[in-house]
Amino acid sequence: MNLEQVLQETYGFSAFRPGQREVIEGVLDGKDVIALLPTGMGKSLCYQFPARFLPGSVLIISPLLSLMQDQVAQLKKLGEKSVVAINSFLKQGAREEVWRTLGTYRYIFISPEMLAQPFVRQQLARIQISLLVMDEAHCISQWGFDFRPDYLRIGDMLPHLGNPQVLALTATATKKVVADIRKYLHIPEAFLYEHPIDRKNIVYDIKKFDSHKDKTDWLLHYTDRYRGPGIVYAGTRKKAEELAALMIEKGESAAFYHGGMEQQDRIFVQQQFQNGELEWVCSTNAFGMGVHIPDIRHVIHYQLPTSIEGYVQEVGRAGRDGNPSLATLMYAEGDEALMESLLMDELPTEFEIRAIHDAENRQLLVDQGIVRETALRVGAYWLSQMTIEKTIEQIRKLQNEKWWQGRKVSELVTGEGCVRSYIAQSFDQTIQGKPSNCCCFEGIDYTTFETGTKSSPQVRVEGWQARLARLLPD
Amino acid sequence: MLFSELILGIMKSIDGQRTVSSPYHLLKGKKSGQTIQDVGYFNLHAYFALFPKLDKALYDQEIAALENDGFLVKGTDMIQLTDKSRTVFSMQSCLDGWKYRGKETLFFKRLSLIVQTFSHATHKIRRFDPVQTEEDVQRWVKRYLSMISFREAGVAESFKQELFASMIAVQLPDAGKQVVMNRLSGFQVSGLTWLQIATSTGLKPLDVQLSGVETLHGWMREIERGNYPLLLPLLENITQQSAMTESAVHTKRLFEQGLSLEEIAVRRTLKTSTIEDHFVEMAINDPSFDFRPFIPVPLYEQIISTSKLTQSKRLRDIKEHLPEAGYFQIRLALATQGGAK
Repeated sequence: MNLEQVLQETYGFSAFRPGQREVIEGVLDGKDVIALLPTGMGKSLCYQFPARFLPGSVLIISPLLSLMQDQVAQLKKLGEKSVVAINSFLKQGAREEVWRTLGTYRYIFISPEMLAQPFVRQQLARIQISLLVMDEAHCISQWGFDFRPDYLRIGDMLPHLGNPQVLALTATATKKVVADIRKYLHIPEAFLYEHPIDRKNIVYDIKKFDSHKDKTDWLLHYTDRYRGPGIVYAGTRKKAEELAALMIEKGESAAFYHGGMEQQDRIFVQQQFQNGELEWVCSTNAFGMGVHIPDIRHVIHYQLPTSIEGYVQEVGRAGRDGNPSLATLMYAEGDEALMESLLMDELPTEFEIRAIHDAENRQLLVDQGIVRETALRVGAYWLSQMTIEKTIEQIRKLQNEKWWQGRKVSELVTGEGCVRSYIAQSFDQTIQGKPSNCCCFEGIDYTTFETGTKSSPQVRVEGWQARLARLLPD
Repeated sequence: MLFSELILGIMKSIDGQRTVSSPYHLLKGKKSGQTIQDVGYFNLHAYFALFPKLDKALYDQEIAALENDGFLVKGTDMIQLTDKSRTVFSMQSCLDGWKYRGKETLFFKRLSLIVQTFSHATHKIRRFDPVQTEEDVQRWVKRYLSMISFREAGVAESFKQELFASMIAVQLPDAGKQVVMNRLSGFQVSGLTWLQIATSTGLKPLDVQLSGVETLHGWMREIERGNYPLLLPLLENITQQSAMTESAVHTKRLFEQGLSLEEIAVRRTLKTSTIEDHFVEMAINDPSFDFRPFIPVPLYEQIISTSKLTQSKRLRDIKEHLPEAGYFQIRLALATQGGAK
């Protein structure tokens, strides 16, 4: 089979992106594959391409609803009709139809929670699954920055699904995490493709400040000086809103984006950013998925990210077109406190564990605001695996792990070495050939990012008739 | 109409008789016995379910503002309007929440995906990121577009003509029409967030949302009444067929089969109080509802005259005067009266 020819005919690309060919060949050879591909390197092609040649269905496990919806939307945009997403949004009436015709779908997307339901497993056991794709596979490891206990159960389900071939995809995984993926998915012999984490066209900058006011002033100066498109990541929803308001006040073309907004407003901000009507989006880490803009020039972290892995993913949204892009990490003393509280927020406290353990109706605890949703998810999992005392000990271990995860971020800003090398080392990789414009410790040539005169586009309300005429021109 | 004026308008009808949070439940379209009953008692049909996703914190902010501005007495749980609030007149409106029940958003979702498709089709673009992500909306629109053969010559033009003509015919200020149109998107034209529309018109997001809902209600009524063959199908399953909740309809059916209130409760494994709520709902919605199986005629007349005499629809006030009447009997009597209006 001539893979390039199929690529050209089906997708209209003349060449594979780095890594895609290796992974696709591995899958087509019938091997289990673990693929470490940086964000934006075309991960989804790695299962879409083989799916054309495999019998039966491809089952894709995806941890985030938004991610799943985005992938389904992208597939449909390519004209693929044989795709279904099984998640909590699927309505009761539609569900029965889906179960009846399950085997006819080429792509079946599912959330780990759904997969855990015995009824759903029975349905999946009835059909032929030729490939199981695990997206964001690092979530299976407690050493990963985004551990999801639900993922651990997937390994136990494989026999029920007829032990299909496995493709584990992730953008970020250390050696420890890869070892966990092998262990929990029972694929010790899997072929590992590891793409260098480093992106040569991204320049890393770190700016230190004495106060928050200095930070804000500097940011406003920056967004005035450089042209977008750019993303400013803030630690909280409130901060994202505040920063956007300040920028708008200064006449910048900016908006905020976070998970607390209604869906339609979120889509509108994405549209505006994609259409070049907005230069800056101030957001929480909710922004990025479903945003396919190749020419993002700036990614600014106004606050410390909670992990190196998350940082690399967010920074990786810049410069998909291969042109130089600037990643700026802003730091003021005391910023660690917010980062640490965000980190610890993901785990249940001892009080919460005891409450979950003692409760008859656990959901009620969440409804009454006694236990947080995520705390319940994590706590309930461990309580189902071990005694309460062991669970408390386990959570302590995880807290410790989180603490180290935070330490690594702190060391990124307090360290005195090359940022690029530091990041690569965090993934047990070494840098081969530094670009001339590397990072703040090697000296940055900022002129690369200066563009001529700047005229900010603006989002404006139009009169209804003018608007309608623009939407539907003659 | 501003959101605060909307709240004051509702409060005027229930001043001194309901709590400060009851307009919140009404606007959310809460399907509890109390809220649905109040719609009938106080004739609040226009306001029901105007904001199904209303955030309680935002509502509380509006209430605090009304208190601070002296429209509402501070710190009481029961609504107490001040003299100042009587100077505010609510305007005539096109709102019809009882009829649409928040489904204007479904109408709008269909419309926005259709407009987006036409907009791209004009530029010969077949693939784009749909502005509506819900599968049922997408399926509905696909079916609709193929039904009207949207690619055929002249169809897009006719659709556009209907949009213009129907919108012009709506008897509402341009401000609201502007809100609705700026929430549409198309080829290289993005939709605007509530906040963006609000900021550039000097209003608050809730005010903008309200004028959007009002315009949609007015527009949908125009589409229903006028001659807009391409737009009319967008109203499919939008208007409430029965004004009652599904559960109440179920109860009604069993009652018509001859089951008593208690038997229905047993059959449906629901609390008697829930079934009572259903009967109150029936009474509100059906002018011919016969209360006599539940209330002796003399008692019914006493309840009605007591309510008129005390100028109150509060159950406790009436019960004080008529200890022999049950709460359910009082509610039912008041409900039939509301319906008779």
